[in-house]
Amino acid sequence: MKVWNATASRMRCMATMRVLQTYLDGALDEVAARRVAEHLEDCRRCGLEAEVYQEIKAALGKQEGTVDHRAIERLRHFGEQLARGDASAHGDHGA
Amino acid sequence: MHEADEHQQGEDAFARYVLPELEVLARVAFSITRNNADAEDLVQETLLCAYRAIDRFDGAHPRAWLFTIMRNAEAKRHRRRRPQLLRDPDQAGRMEAADPRGGVASPEDVVLGAEFDAVVAQCLASLPERHRQVVELVDIDGLSYAEAAEAIGVPVGTVMSRLHRARTRIRQRLSAAGLAPKRSLR
Repeated sequence: MKVWNATASRMRCMATMRVLQTYLDGALDEVAARRVAEHLEDCRRCGLEAEVYQEIKAALGKQEGTVDHRAIERLRHFGEQLARGDASAHGDHGA
Repeated sequence: MHEADEHQQGEDAFARYVLPELEVLARVAFSITRNNADAEDLVQETLLCAYRAIDRFDGAHPRAWLFTIMRNAEAKRHRRRRPQLLRDPDQAGRMEAADPRGGVASPEDVVLGAEFDAVVAQCLASLPERHRQVVELVDIDGLSYAEAAEAIGVPVGTVMSRLHRARTRIRQRLSAAGLAPKRSLR
């Protein structure tokens, strides 16, 4: 009985690990997400693994700043000119 | 007069569907080109193509529509482009030392947090191009799997597998640096 329980628990861990990243991205369906959330509550090892991936995602989320904000302003101005039907905006660009 | 109305409608649709996506387009363009000047050119080209095609757009899923335009524009740009310049060396340099778990961090936590972020940044920069690109699109630019798939023209499953493999690589690097526990299963 004990062996069966250990095997079942290990299988739940493996199933959780297979979908953990999809779960953390919020892309799992509701039923599967609930099952993963319950397992993460109960299983320390998997909970820890989830925390590591959460921190990786958080660290990646901080990697912003690669986009040039002045370029965005110039593009916004260009887009607004187009939206106003300003002929000079869609003249010779994109060559 | 009828033609003028149609023109006005097109301009309204452009303002309604395209302009709100401008910042996302710029981020994605940067992820694709790795160069600010090229990204700006690519977005400008995308805006122009979208402007010309807005009359044929049905209003459903503007972001996906724009990504398709951008992908085509990038393919066209590639065909006439000079050899790629070296990547921006500043890319991996920006890091903050904030504690990702929130709350008030101790000096030790701040150092550890900065080290953690630094390893993540280094690893991201060293990932194979295709893997780094999906990480940037999803984790940095905030796109969904489907949007990222649309942006680079691959199936959603490919985005997922590249993304998961990339993060697993980062996770292994963190373990090797002693900043995350060794993989516990198996």
